Amino acid sequence: MTPLADRLSGSAIAFLGACAFFYGSKLPPVPGQQVGPSAFPMVVGTGLALCGALIVLGVGRHFEEVAEADVASHSAPEDLVQPPAWRAWLALLPPALLMFYALFSETLGFLPTAAIMVVIMSTAFGAKPKLSIPLAVIAPFVINLIFLKLLRVPLPAGLLPFPW
Amino acid sequence: MNTIIQAFGLVFAPDVLIAIFASAIYGLVVGSLPGLSATMATALLVPVTFYLSPIAAVATIITASAMAIFSGDIPGCLLRIPGTPASAAYTDEAYAMTRKGQAETALGICLWFSALGGIAGTLSLMVLAPILAEFALSFSTYENFWLAMLGLMCATLVARSSPIKAIAAMLLGLLITCIGIDNPGGVARFTFGSTDLLGGIEPIPALVGVFALAEVMRALSEREPPKLEHRRLGSILKGQIELTRKYPKQQARGNIVGIIIGVLPGAGADMAAWVSYAMAKRFSKTPEKFGTGHPEGLIEAGASNNASLASGWVPALLFGIPGDTITAIAIGVLYMKGLNPGPTLFTEQASSMYALYIIFLLGNIIMIPLGIIMIRLASRVVGAPRSAVMPVIMIFCAVGAFATAGNNLFAVWCVAVFGLIGFVMEKNGYPVAALVLGIVMGTMVEQSFVTSLIKSDGSILPFFSRPVSIVLSSMTIAALLWPVFMWSMEKLRTRRAVAA
Repeated sequence: MTPLADRLSGSAIAFLGACAFFYGSKLPPVPGQQVGPSAFPMVVGTGLALCGALIVLGVGRHFEEVAEADVASHSAPEDLVQPPAWRAWLALLPPALLMFYALFSETLGFLPTAAIMVVIMSTAFGAKPKLSIPLAVIAPFVINLIFLKLLRVPLPAGLLPFPW
Repeated sequence: MNTIIQAFGLVFAPDVLIAIFASAIYGLVVGSLPGLSATMATALLVPVTFYLSPIAAVATIITASAMAIFSGDIPGCLLRIPGTPASAAYTDEAYAMTRKGQAETALGICLWFSALGGIAGTLSLMVLAPILAEFALSFSTYENFWLAMLGLMCATLVARSSPIKAIAAMLLGLLITCIGIDNPGGVARFTFGSTDLLGGIEPIPALVGVFALAEVMRALSEREPPKLEHRRLGSILKGQIELTRKYPKQQARGNIVGIIIGVLPGAGADMAAWVSYAMAKRFSKTPEKFGTGHPEGLIEAGASNNASLASGWVPALLFGIPGDTITAIAIGVLYMKGLNPGPTLFTEQASSMYALYIIFLLGNIIMIPLGIIMIRLASRVVGAPRSAVMPVIMIFCAVGAFATAGNNLFAVWCVAVFGLIGFVMEKNGYPVAALVLGIVMGTMVEQSFVTSLIKSDGSILPFFSRPVSIVLSSMTIAALLWPVFMWSMEKLRTRRAVAA
């Protein structure tokens, strides 16, 4: 039986492929030409739908098992112990923080936004305030300095503009 | 001769030399930190290259990637944690040598044969590229289409994963390039009314998301690696000359395999190391010694992964087809700097090409002294806490993408989304390298596909009737059917074994 994750991801890919195919087929053609902007999405969509179906059926799973066994034989036994499940959810933190940056950096400014992100991230990695607070003050400042002075990229000033 | 002198002039300009030196240190440090790969090091460099001269920009990428591939061996040797995936294949072996008290020999092998492998790879680049360039000048859109398809198929073939999943990942990358108005009809595709999507998805933010942010995410879900205690090391280069003399065959084989795998699109240093280690064991007179701290496999695989780096540039420079994930990034930089990949690069910008060769050689030579310093300082650098390194990298992901995309916050959204995509794909066994290859090559594939079809009035016959097309198309189809063949062979063998 195909693992649940494969059945889910395979169905998602097949669905995406079907959507791409139908969306592509609705695109307006270029007058006077047989082939236009719809051809490529339709071809790719068909391929995706096909691959998705094959993944759901578990075709090619065998190759993965061989590779996994190879990696397992080369890694230390303690690496193979699964960390607790909540740690996997913690992985969502970095993209969430980047979205926070995209939404608030223009109003708050680069220095405060980056400082907040650094404190949250280093705490999530288990740092004590003794490390995370100085890091949150120094790192954004240095990065701002590099981008402003060396690369001449102005970063959002916001509430707390760069001092010089 | 004149162009060669010109090339030396280009390389020995102060800004280029500073760029080489700074990126060498950067590559050594990032490569040696467990969990930060050479690809990530390169991806994070791109925003910086934006503001450098073309040669300096290419020099930073070449030097940083070569250094990172070598220094990934250091934590592998000392901690049994590969610094980059390219070191994973022989980490056990190197660590076994360290346990036997031969840490300096193991590190010396990694350094010495990395540098030699890198130089061999550079020589292959110097020889292969001009020959192929002459050949490639005669290609039309049909050949370009098949070449791109062959590249994409190779990437799925060599992925250490299910070939179906690899193809799905590659197609997903192609679909992503459909977004925007940059297509044959100039119509807005898959934009869903968003003005930001009209311009399409830029490869660089996508790469930063998939290779850098996804790594940070993975680090968060895994435990902290153990600390490295300080260790006194003897002479690092002692005995390397003898080893070079004792194992010439292993070294040559490692170099050649690395070069071949590097040229194959999508297959990079990690693949080269795995294959070479397996080959060393297969052909060794003493295979039972492997895994107990035996230098043979270490020599072959250590040379192989560095050799693959330079030869990966061959398809990248000639056709814009990345030889590995690092050159996928490099292609983006080449376009940005007006050094558009293609066979004409060798005729019109010959001095830039020679400069590139010189940088490769120079990078591999300074690797030896800088590498020794790095090994001596390893216990300080490798011990840097993740809680300090990872937040800084995350900020760099945001600001770097923002800067490359012309100060547009949409790029930051892209990094976040692609970080998520990369993380989820990796967890489910979909190779992200195939996705990236699709994203980098999508526009080119579509253009050559649609232009060819328009030229032929919608007939697919010319795709198969031109002489070079036949060869390239049959190779592509063979690459597609290879896994099926392998699978049925294995089935047949087990059935025979059961019957017997």
